[in-house]
Formats: sequence, C-alpha cells, structure tokens
Amino acid sequence: MLQIKKSNRSSRLQMRKQESRTAYLCLLPAIIGLVFITYLPLLSAFILGFFKWGKGAIVPVFIGLDNYKRLFTSDPYFLDSIRVTVYFSILAVIGCLIFSLFIAILLNRKVPARGFFRAVFYLPYILPSIAVYIGWSWLYESNFGLFNYILTLLGVSKIQFLADSKYVIPSLALIAVWLSGNLIVIFLAGLQNVPRVYYEASEIDGANGFQRFLHVTLPSMTPIIFYNLLMSLIINMQIVVPALALTNGGPGTSSTFITYLMYRYAFISNQLGYACSISFIFFIIIAVFTLILFATSKSWIYYEGDE
Amino acid sequence: MAVKSRGSHGRQEWRMNSSAFVILVILTAVVMLPIWWMFRSSLMTNTELYAFPPAFFPKNWLFKNYVKTLEYFPFWKYLRNTVMIIFPSLLGGTVTATMAGYAFARLRFRGKDFLFSLCVGSMLLPLMVTLVPLYTMWTRGFHLVDSYLPLIIPHFCGGGAFNIFLIRQFIRSIPRELDEAATIDGASYFRILVSIIMPAIKSAMIVVSLLLFIFLWNDLLHQMIYINSQDKFTIAVGLSQFKGSLGSDWSMIMSATCISFVPGILFYLVGQRYFVEGIVMTGLKN
Repeated sequence: MLQIKKSNRSSRLQMRKQESRTAYLCLLPAIIGLVFITYLPLLSAFILGFFKWGKGAIVPVFIGLDNYKRLFTSDPYFLDSIRVTVYFSILAVIGCLIFSLFIAILLNRKVPARGFFRAVFYLPYILPSIAVYIGWSWLYESNFGLFNYILTLLGVSKIQFLADSKYVIPSLALIAVWLSGNLIVIFLAGLQNVPRVYYEASEIDGANGFQRFLHVTLPSMTPIIFYNLLMSLIINMQIVVPALALTNGGPGTSSTFITYLMYRYAFISNQLGYACSISFIFFIIIAVFTLILFATSKSWIYYEGDE
Repeated sequence: MAVKSRGSHGRQEWRMNSSAFVILVILTAVVMLPIWWMFRSSLMTNTELYAFPPAFFPKNWLFKNYVKTLEYFPFWKYLRNTVMIIFPSLLGGTVTATMAGYAFARLRFRGKDFLFSLCVGSMLLPLMVTLVPLYTMWTRGFHLVDSYLPLIIPHFCGGGAFNIFLIRQFIRSIPRELDEAATIDGASYFRILVSIIMPAIKSAMIVVSLLLFIFLWNDLLHQMIYINSQDKFTIAVGLSQFKGSLGSDWSMIMSATCISFVPGILFYLVGQRYFVEGIVMTGLKN
C-alpha cells in the first residue's frame, strides 16, 4: 500500500519535472529574445547615454551627463523634435481612434457586403508603408496633385502640403488616419464581444439607437478603446518613415520627429552615444504618457463584473 | 412609455442599416480615391500627369508603362530578397510564438508570472529605443554587415509579445480535457503541443504570420540600416532609392509603387478569412 503511494508520488514528481522542463524549453527562444533583443539593449541605451561614442571616440568615453546637458541646452533640434513628435501623435491618435471606431460601428451593423468593406478599410494597412508615403506625396503635390485639384474645385487657394511647415504635420497625420485599418479590426472584434443581453435589456427600457450607443456600446468598449489608444500612441510616437523618405525632417525642423533625429545622429553623423541619450529620453517620454494613461484609465474604463 | 410595436422597431432598424450602408459606400470611395489616383497615374504619360485640371481617367491606358518600369526597377530581384527575409522570419516567429504561448497557457513552472509580465511589458516598449544598441551589437559585435541575419534572427526569439499573447489566449479557449486525455495516454507535453494544440489553433497561427508579414513588409528602417549593397535591397529599400533617383518621373514612380502593392494584397486575401475571428478570440478586453 505504502509502496504504491510512494511510486505514485514519485511519478507525479517526475511529471512535474517534465512539465517545467518542457515549459522552459518552449520559452527558451522567447527568453533569449527578452534578454538580448529587448531588455539588455534597453539597459545599454541607458548606459551608453553617458558616453561619448562614435565620432571622435571609437571606444566609448565616459562623459557623465554631458550628452543630456547638450540635449537640453545647446542642441538646435532636440526640443523642437519633442514638440513635433507630441503634436503629430496627438493629431494622429485622435484622428485614428475616431475614424476607426466610427467605421467599426458601421461595419458592425447588418449591412450587405461587409467582408468587402472590411477589406477596403484594411487595405491601406497592408501596403508597404514606404509605397504609401510615396503615393501620398504625389497626391499632395503642390501643382498637379489630387488634393490641390479638389481645393481649387472648392475655390480655395492651393496649399504646399508637405513643403509648408504649417501643414506638414497635419498632412502626415491624415495619412496615419488612412492607415488605421488594424484599429478597425480590433474595434470590430470588441463590438462583436459586447453581450447581446445588454442591448436587449436597453431595448426593453426603450432606449433609442444613440442612447444604446452611449450607455451600452461605449462603456463596454472602454477597455478596447484604452488598448487602441495606448498602442496607437506608442506606434505613432515612433513614426519615422515619412521623415526618412519624404520630408527629411523639413521644411526647417517641422517634421523632425525624435526618431528621425536619433536616426540622423546615429547613422548619418555617427554619434552613437549621443543618439542613445536621445533614445533614452524618448523612452521616458513614452513611459510618462503610458503611466498617465494607466493612471487616468481607472476612472473611465468599465470592466464587466465591476459594479 | 416609448414601447414600440415590433413593426416600427424593425423599420427603424432597417433605416439605420441602410444609412450605414450608404455612409460606408461614400467612405469607401474616399478611402479608395488615393489608391485609384496612384493607379491612374501609373497608366498616364508624364505630359498627361502635368496637365491641369487633372483627369480622373487616363486617356490611353498605358499598361506598357509597367513593362518600362520593370526594366529600371528590378522588382523580381527585390521581391526575391524580401522573401528571403520574410519567409524564415515568418516561420521562426510563428513557431516560437506558438511554443511560448503554449507554455504560458498550459504548463506550470516556476517564474511563470514574472516571465509573463516581462513579456507583456515589452509590448509597451518602443522598438526605436533599442535601435542603436542592437545595431551596434549586430554590426560591431557579430560583424554582420550587409547581411539579412540581423533582420531574421530576432524573429526566432519568440515572434513578439503580442503574438505570444494572442496564441496564449487562443490555447486557453481550447478545452483542457483534450490534452489531459492525451496525458493519460502517455503523450509528452511536446507531443500534445504538436498533435493536439497546433491543429486546433491553426487560424491563430495564420493570424500571427499575417501580422508578422505586415510588420516585415512595412519595416523600411531596419532594412535600410542593415542592408547596404544594391544587390541585396528589399522592395521597401529599393523603392525609396528608386524614388530618389527618378526625381519627377511620376508615372514610373507610381507604376513601381503600384507593383509593390500586389504581394501584400495577395497575402492578405489568403489569410483574411481567419483574421477578424483571430482577433475576436484574443478577447483583448482583459
């Protein structure tokens, strides 16, 4: 009797061991990735920010806070690049969220050809982004482009969309909105998860379509809105392709995003340590935005089961 | 008070659905207009392109523009190069994300919560921050200059936190009894993953590979910094250089642009069936 129990336990122990061994084996690639592709490079970016490295210093030379001092006191581009990045992200995020939620709500109704519409709004997202920006730069062309043609039809004078520092950021934000197909899919998924019973209950209470949206759809969508808000903020703050391929950060510094500035310092003027100090400040800015979002989220996110 | 008869309710519902349909048709036209404009520009002569007012349709549909473009824009070579990066990355990313998702969804081991939060936390981490350290690691540490490996190897390392999370959610929706029965029959955990879990989450794996595809397909920056020689250019890098070298030959630039749209559209058409379903299943709510 005792014998059997003992062997039972040891075989269970054996299985436990096998289980965790399999788990670590399965996670090995991901752990290597987290260590060597994610967290160690993050740490190195932080450390290298205190070094002069690259131009004028083949081996990193410790210079304390000099990089940071230079960023905030004598760099002609850095503060502008923060302003540009924040301005762009706010425009793009608000535009993307409103547009994609609106489309998702329409697509969630029983309309014919839903699959077709879904594909249409998703389409821009699957095109190579460089091709998209090149294509749009032709649409924005100041004399023969589509948008200026539409403006002249409306009797408005032509605009230098990408060559005027007033308009370059809103113009790029409009492209970001056009590209927000993945947000639509996620919103659509969320809408399909809203429990039917809530709608039925509100119908019995006599709520009309708009009231139902306000009191049923919107509250149960808040977690998804939060997710999309966070992700599209993180993605839009990292935008670099349009500056890289179209505007070169111009005119002036009006489209010099932080990421583009970092790229320029690291890969064009070979100031690697300095670029790292920028990337670390950039990390802090995103972390602050994320923390603010998380802190405020408690007051407007509704979780099922909460009273 | 406002109790309505079934009939008027149905009518209201019908009215709202049809206005939704009309708005969708209008918005479709607006969203497709830029693509149409690029396509129609690719079929015009440059004289036609620089005429004002511009025409919505080309006078003659010059499909031979594409033949000319393909002479100058080595699309097939760039496509082959892109596939050489994308194919192994997709494979590595999907397989390693599935393995990690399985461990997080089903297996018990020490440090699980900690590892999982490290993983989810990395979703919030901006890729750009690690760009310079990674670049120096690959080029100066491993001397991988002008090589595809720095673009491929990272995808063999878990395939991205979001994808791991997506696979995990999918696996959690599969009844546990299935793999418990297999355990009693003496199957190893690895065997369960391969012969029970993986067939059941085929659609999630397709979603993951579609997401990886879009990421790689779009990723100009990394391709630009790691690849130097023209022979190794991807479509994205090739296109950005092509545009710079042509200046204002917009009909040629637009035909190259339109050609580069095709592979992504084809890939999406194959995978789209699984797509919304896949995202719905993740239940992003929690």
